[in-house]
Amino acid sequence: MVEIWFAILSVTLAGYAVLDGSNIGSGVVQFLVARSPAERRLVVSAIGPLWTWHEVWLVASGGILFVAFPTVLAVALPGFYLAVFTLLWCMVGRGLSLELGGHLDDPLWRRFWEVVFSVVSVLTAILLGAALGNLVRGVPLGASGKFSMPFFTDFKTQGQVGILDWYTMSAGVFTLICVAAHGASYLVFKTAGAVHDRSASLARKLWFSAFLLLPLITAETFSVRPELFTGMMDRPLAWLALTTALAGSIAVVLGQRGGKELQALLGGGGFIVGLLGAAAASTFPVMLRSTIDPAYSLTAQRGAVGGAGLALALWWWPVAMTLSIAYFVAVFRQFNGKVRMAPPPSP
Amino acid sequence: MDDPAFWHRLQFAFTITYHYLFPQLTMGLAPFLVLWRWRALRTGHEAYAQAARFWSRIFGITFVVGVVTGIPMEFQFGTNWSEFSKYAGGVIGQTLAMEGMFAFFMESAFVGAMVWGERRLGPRKHFVATALVALGSWLSAYFILTTNAFMQHPVGHRITENGTLVIADLGGYLLNPWAWVMFAHNQAAAVVTGAFVVAAVGAFYTLRLEHQGQARVYVEWGIAAGLISAVIVAFPTGDVQAKFVARYQEVSLAAMEGRFESGAMAPLHLIGQPNVKMRKLENAVALPGMLSFLAYGTFHSNVRGLEAFPEDQWPTNIELLYYSFHVMAGLGTLFIGLMALANLQRWRGRLLRTPLLLWALMLAFPFPFIANTAGWLTAELGRQPWLVYGLFRTSAGYADVVSQGDTLFTLIGFTGLYSAVGLLYLFLIGREVLHGPPNGHDEPPGPYPEMIHG
Repeated sequence: MVEIWFAILSVTLAGYAVLDGSNIGSGVVQFLVARSPAERRLVVSAIGPLWTWHEVWLVASGGILFVAFPTVLAVALPGFYLAVFTLLWCMVGRGLSLELGGHLDDPLWRRFWEVVFSVVSVLTAILLGAALGNLVRGVPLGASGKFSMPFFTDFKTQGQVGILDWYTMSAGVFTLICVAAHGASYLVFKTAGAVHDRSASLARKLWFSAFLLLPLITAETFSVRPELFTGMMDRPLAWLALTTALAGSIAVVLGQRGGKELQALLGGGGFIVGLLGAAAASTFPVMLRSTIDPAYSLTAQRGAVGGAGLALALWWWPVAMTLSIAYFVAVFRQFNGKVRMAPPPSP
Repeated sequence: MDDPAFWHRLQFAFTITYHYLFPQLTMGLAPFLVLWRWRALRTGHEAYAQAARFWSRIFGITFVVGVVTGIPMEFQFGTNWSEFSKYAGGVIGQTLAMEGMFAFFMESAFVGAMVWGERRLGPRKHFVATALVALGSWLSAYFILTTNAFMQHPVGHRITENGTLVIADLGGYLLNPWAWVMFAHNQAAAVVTGAFVVAAVGAFYTLRLEHQGQARVYVEWGIAAGLISAVIVAFPTGDVQAKFVARYQEVSLAAMEGRFESGAMAPLHLIGQPNVKMRKLENAVALPGMLSFLAYGTFHSNVRGLEAFPEDQWPTNIELLYYSFHVMAGLGTLFIGLMALANLQRWRGRLLRTPLLLWALMLAFPFPFIANTAGWLTAELGRQPWLVYGLFRTSAGYADVVSQGDTLFTLIGFTGLYSAVGLLYLFLIGREVLHGPPNGHDEPPGPYPEMIHG
């Protein structure tokens, strides 16, 4: 039962990364691919009205953590206190910029919200990446079973660590590049014209950089947490995830060469899901690894809710997820296809 | 302020109070939108479609602010109230997760289509989208109110060996009688907010002699819905809610009424200032026996005062609790009076020619927000000193690993950010109202106006 909920949580988080990653990534690359205000409106239009549905995957992850692993939620969130609020404030800024940025037909108003959108998108990507880095590296869990981390301490990965150190910062940068590449692929898929062409060229460069940096971040991860790799050996799901990542990266390269935009987009998504899935499958059952002493690590079994909570939630969860996907399909079909600039209104 | 939980409490109180200003309006506008869209679909009257279009824009802006201020709420259970989440997560996690899975996914999928997709979807599909957004927003309220009802009146749980709570009876938890009463009371109060805002904009246009056709729709629908909902808020829902408090939170009732001594023929205080140190209510004006009657059904029932309870079970801020309750109840009564008068004048065919009443309707719209806020303060302060009534104290629930400096920092951050958001919101709503209802299909700019698909 605990395994099932750990899998559901991992899948939801990976779903969030891919779905909202395309929106965050569009914000990151916005000023690189869209040179005029009209082109930047096109980027926002490409993101379209379903971005809130994407963001809900993060809320759903929080909900799953609450219903299945309340102790993990109660240990992790206060531990990352300042980072959580920085992320939440970024999300406030993003929601406002996407929804309200077009409300006034005024150049300064639009410029302001475009900049807000890009800045919070970059920050969100780095923060989410650093958060992943923290989960891989571990947190200073002591005998009390709780921890509290400042943004930084001595930038080392052992003992009393901070949220940012050399490893989590590189995870943040690597995530930024992956998310930007994914966003660029998304814009290739959703736009036509100059924005499309610039996105295509940028997506090639960004994915190339991501693939180039992958061995480096893998080596860093090995040095920070070698048992992740030894644990991976006898986990079929981890191998499946790695295969997905590999297949995804091949799909990206072939898709970009052959002009198959959807294939390149899905390939990038597969690459991201694969890496996250491999990490999740290898780390199980540890949910919060202690940098002080492995004995203090919080496992899924110890973090899971007692009683019948997990079994009960497994009754309603599939119903809710099915409905949710149905809504998405229904709305997505209405907004399918590429976005184009509307012709100027006839006088 | 010596209380280590103080900044955590203040931050949660501030962020939830601020957040709820927006959902109460969207939930209150949702029935208007559904009904107007429905009438437009059935009768083909353009006036209703136009009304729905205008209020969808107001809804859209309000919804966005509700969403961006709502997401931090879920996470603050963890960041600031982690000990509570650890203790009660096995129960309240169910509804908090259900809210995301059942309600947020529904709302978020359709809200963009509802606000910006009329032409793309066509009238029928667009009506469905509107109805689903309305349903989602009310569903979301039910899950949150079930969570809160558990904190007010815990049912359906079991205490484990290590002292935490787990769910024992999911059906019993979801159908908590307290949740049903609270839902009816709260949703009716949200409709009061929606109705007052709709009527206020209608009165504003009427007094300015502009958009007369639309103004008439807003005023007439606003006051009709306003009267119905304001009555439901008081009776039966408010009445039953008060009887629940009298039965399950007796000490809170005493504090809400500033009642220190026990006895029969308990009076209902209309005004007065509690002096907790001296244990008395000063300058009190009271209706004799009314509290006994409202709480227990007879004038001679004994209503116990605060003295009958140990002090460590008294609500921690009796003064604010007292005023919150009285502001809520007083405003609720005035709302019924104002709306009854407006409907009477409308029935006599004189409403749109009674400037004084139109002025009152125009200026009354902030008060339902105040009454809703005061109502929630009553519920939450009345629950003190407990986080889960009778089981778990507030002083045990905060995140003890977070330094006071960090909490104050984020509280200051929220204050600044939310002040800016509030100004932005008022500016945008003011623009929409001054711009007026869009004519025909000439839509002013929105988030995705340049979108052409396919």
